[in-house]
Amino acid sequence: MSEKHTILVVEDDRSISNFICRALTASGYKAVPATCGREAQTLFFSHMPDLVLLDLGLPDIDGQDLLAELTGLPQAPPTIIISARDRESEKVKALDMGADDYIVKPFGVPELLARIRTTLRRADRMKLSPGITEERYSLKDLTLDILRHQVFMGENEIHFTQNEFKILSLLFLHGGKVLTYDFILEHVWGGYSGNNNQILRVNMANIRRKLKENPSEPKYILTELGIGYRLLAD
Amino acid sequence: MHKLYLKGRDILHLIPSTPRYILVSVFFFTAALFCSGMLNKMTGEQNNTALVYVLAVVLISLFTSGYVYGIVVSLLAGFCNNYFFMYPYSEFSLSLTGYPMTMLSMVTISCIVCALTTRGKLHAEESVRREQRNKALYELNESLNAEKLTIQLEKDRETIRSNILRSVSHDLRTPLTAISGSAAVMLSSEGMRSEKDTAMLEDIRDDADSLIAMVENLLSITRIRNDNTEIKKQNEMLEEVVGDAVMKIHRRFPDVKVELTLCDEILFMPMDPLLIKQVVLNLLENSIRHSGSPDTIHLSLFCKDGWGGVEVRDCGRGLSDDVHRAILEGRQLSSSTSGDSSRGMGIGLSVCQSIIQVHDGFFTAHNHAEGGAVFRFGLPLEEIL
Repeated sequence: MSEKHTILVVEDDRSISNFICRALTASGYKAVPATCGREAQTLFFSHMPDLVLLDLGLPDIDGQDLLAELTGLPQAPPTIIISARDRESEKVKALDMGADDYIVKPFGVPELLARIRTTLRRADRMKLSPGITEERYSLKDLTLDILRHQVFMGENEIHFTQNEFKILSLLFLHGGKVLTYDFILEHVWGGYSGNNNQILRVNMANIRRKLKENPSEPKYILTELGIGYRLLAD
Repeated sequence: MHKLYLKGRDILHLIPSTPRYILVSVFFFTAALFCSGMLNKMTGEQNNTALVYVLAVVLISLFTSGYVYGIVVSLLAGFCNNYFFMYPYSEFSLSLTGYPMTMLSMVTISCIVCALTTRGKLHAEESVRREQRNKALYELNESLNAEKLTIQLEKDRETIRSNILRSVSHDLRTPLTAISGSAAVMLSSEGMRSEKDTAMLEDIRDDADSLIAMVENLLSITRIRNDNTEIKKQNEMLEEVVGDAVMKIHRRFPDVKVELTLCDEILFMPMDPLLIKQVVLNLLENSIRHSGSPDTIHLSLFCKDGWGGVEVRDCGRGLSDDVHRAILEGRQLSSSTSGDSSRGMGIGLSVCQSIIQVHDGFFTAHNHAEGGAVFRFGLPLEEIL
């Protein structure tokens, strides 16, 4: 790590905030804790963090509003949402508003660190080559050739349908970001799919079978239950 | 008052009505004859006797129903009076002055009295019936009200209980996350630490983690029992839900080997994904904790006869007879069936049962021929697009 990344931790529960900050410091990040929305706003502009960890349940400001404010900025840093379980709609909404990832309470430290690492790496890559679509992506033994519409696993080509390929390339394009059902539907099928994400998920099941993916030990694609999919970019 | 009256009637009512009425009529008629005989002897004037007969007719009409008895008795009385107490004695004589008039007036009186008493009696009976009906209605209403109140109270209590349960569970989650997380941070941080301290930290983390798992179970229960309305179901792909559960188990128990085998079909079914995930988590955790075997746990999806489901097989000691029977009979597993040695087994499996039940699915268990327990659950399949 060439320079220390600064992470703003917006979390009103002090003991959670404490252990997150300890974990971040131990992993070589600079952690800045904020216990309420207003403090977060102040600290944001004085520290210009590289990433924001945001609990949506804040005492003073609605977490959604704060998120909208942050993602609306020109040079907005990536944001990871901390959210309670059984609030799918809240998470989906936050992701659609521009949050990069989410983590569900109760979460473990390794899980949190892994998500932060992935998000920061993707953000760094975007900073280095903004807006450039690559011609070729690779992940583990999988290679995706965008121009030729080809997918190789090692030496062997795997055949995908048009839509399956579109889904795959969309996942690759966004690195390890969580893509919601609606986002993928919009980009692959256009506005014609209605509200039915079943067609997407059947396609995904077929992709998984072609890649010989086992959903309990995924190598390439991670399922975010009730939310969407992401590429396992780590 | 009423009751006494009813009692007297009840005894009389033991005799069937027609013979009873005849009996009553004969009784009053004889009494009237006797009385008029006495009067005749004492006063010698026949005119008094008519009143005695009228009295008898009135009484008979009161105690019988219909006009027949009264009229018959009044006619008979006329004849008897004529026969026994008028000159010439023991003979009929219609030649006496005023006799037809007497007969006619007696019959008329008896008819009128009969009509009046019958009407009065009908009224009385009607009002008694109405009263009884009112009383029955009142009692029914009372008991219904009481029942409603009990149900309402029970419901309120249930709501309060599940609300408390839910908010307590929610409130427990944050500090438990902090405890487990802090312990994990301390474990991962470098520095001098004795082996004992490390072991203690691991205990703190693991215990906090199992408390978190228990809280998740409690929250699942409140999701089901929160209200009696149907749970919110959406079409989910079983392999994604099960995969997610297995990944969570991998994170919590990194040393445990779980093998998931998919089936060829893509299984879509209406479910609450979080609840079904909880079922898989509980079954896996049950096998990890109670099978007594560190070997791989086999999970396989199946699709059969319109059902899609999951089979969880471990290689441990298998199910005890108690637990096996309880599951087969669909009985809720209580802590007593699981025993204290297997902490939390009862609640985990009984949560599974409840969740599967609200999904209209089936939940079974048996011991595998080659050893180990097998749990299976299935949900009704959705037709694929």
